[in-house]
Amino acid sequence: MPYYIGDVIKDEKSLIARTPEKFRESGIEVRIDTRVEEIDPVKRLVRLAGGEALPYDFLVLGTGMKPLMPGIPGEEREGVFTLKRLTDAVRMKTWLRDLSCRKAIIVGAGFIGMEMSEAIRNLGIETQVFHRGTLPVNRWDPEFGKWILEELGRHRVGFVTNVETRAVEEGREHRLRLITNRGEDEADMILMAVGIQPATELARQMGLPLGKTGAIRVNFSQRTPQEGVYAVGDCAESFHRVSGQWVSIPLGDIANKQGRVAGGNIGGGKMIFPGIVGSQCFKLFDLEVAATGLDEREALQSGFHPASTLVWGNSTARSMPGNKKLGLKLIADRATGKLLGAQAVGEMGAVSRINTLACAIWAGLGLDDVGWLDLAYSPPFGGSWDPIHIAAQALRRQI
Amino acid sequence: MGKHVVIIGAGAGGASAAAEAKRQDPSLAIVMIEQGSQVSVAA
Repeated sequence: MPYYIGDVIKDEKSLIARTPEKFRESGIEVRIDTRVEEIDPVKRLVRLAGGEALPYDFLVLGTGMKPLMPGIPGEEREGVFTLKRLTDAVRMKTWLRDLSCRKAIIVGAGFIGMEMSEAIRNLGIETQVFHRGTLPVNRWDPEFGKWILEELGRHRVGFVTNVETRAVEEGREHRLRLITNRGEDEADMILMAVGIQPATELARQMGLPLGKTGAIRVNFSQRTPQEGVYAVGDCAESFHRVSGQWVSIPLGDIANKQGRVAGGNIGGGKMIFPGIVGSQCFKLFDLEVAATGLDEREALQSGFHPASTLVWGNSTARSMPGNKKLGLKLIADRATGKLLGAQAVGEMGAVSRINTLACAIWAGLGLDDVGWLDLAYSPPFGGSWDPIHIAAQALRRQI
Repeated sequence: MGKHVVIIGAGAGGASAAAEAKRQDPSLAIVMIEQGSQVSVAA
């Protein structure tokens, strides 16, 4: 959706994977603009707003997540947005264009805040990110946070640190004024991207247990403890293969896979969702930002003894024109030498390195293997010793 | 008619569940309920 708002993707229809008509053609009834009032798990009925009750043998909860709001006066004002549904994106794009907005404020520096800062800046709108901390995207360590901050600066996106929001008021020069502990700033639109939480009202109402993360507890078949009831996507937990813990990581690729598993089991198959390793990436202007596995803090919490190394390498062979700097950090367990996590940032080749390392982590490889992996080598794509080899061997020597 | 499946939420998870269930067992009677006005949207 950020790419639609930034007008890289022109037509919102191209974001729709399957239309209601397509579903109907394959024999699936779709009811849009329809709210579920409550679920009766004893009579096995879904009651819709309006009174109709649908019986079920199987029920799938795919209720997603909802954006958190800071909870300040005036946050419901017109021009203050969150980004969840496609309709939010369409409204935001229309607002930005039709009111010829000149200034935007994004509250929050997670990856939605980052993607949206690029999208809005590229529309020629003065953009500032307000963050409660000091560096963007805490999924990445400070070495990379600093680089991401420089990238924002290079593209003239403002970044205000240690912000506590207080209120949204009507502006004088622009439509809105945001009051914070750092002063008052006006903008024509404000995007609240301060976090999300799993949407679990229906699950709680029907008595399903939630995990420690606040998302719905499921097993590897996506089943909940109630017979015939499944949960998938952002509202459900996933098993993290490295930490061995159930986590809540709301990403569309995970939702797709979990949905397929639940559907397969309902259709009589025996499918298992094998879990995740925490891979994710985003693009920020010219940078690729990617990570997989655990960071050091998570590794410690999961009972490992992590060691890490950061190498500044090259995306291609060093002698090639167009070579770009690539930062790669590896985290491994001192006791076993097993690779636990990786982070990479660079203008080229960061995501491909992380995808390679995601396979290594998935398979439980140690540094002795990773340091000698037979990777495809040619100068336009990397050195004969790839940053992956260099980092893995350096970390091996260290532990 | 086969068994009744109700899917709440037509995002990536719900939409995949509906499609796969129908693929595995075409006799299932599947209804997908969505609060918003679009289904199966790429984030």
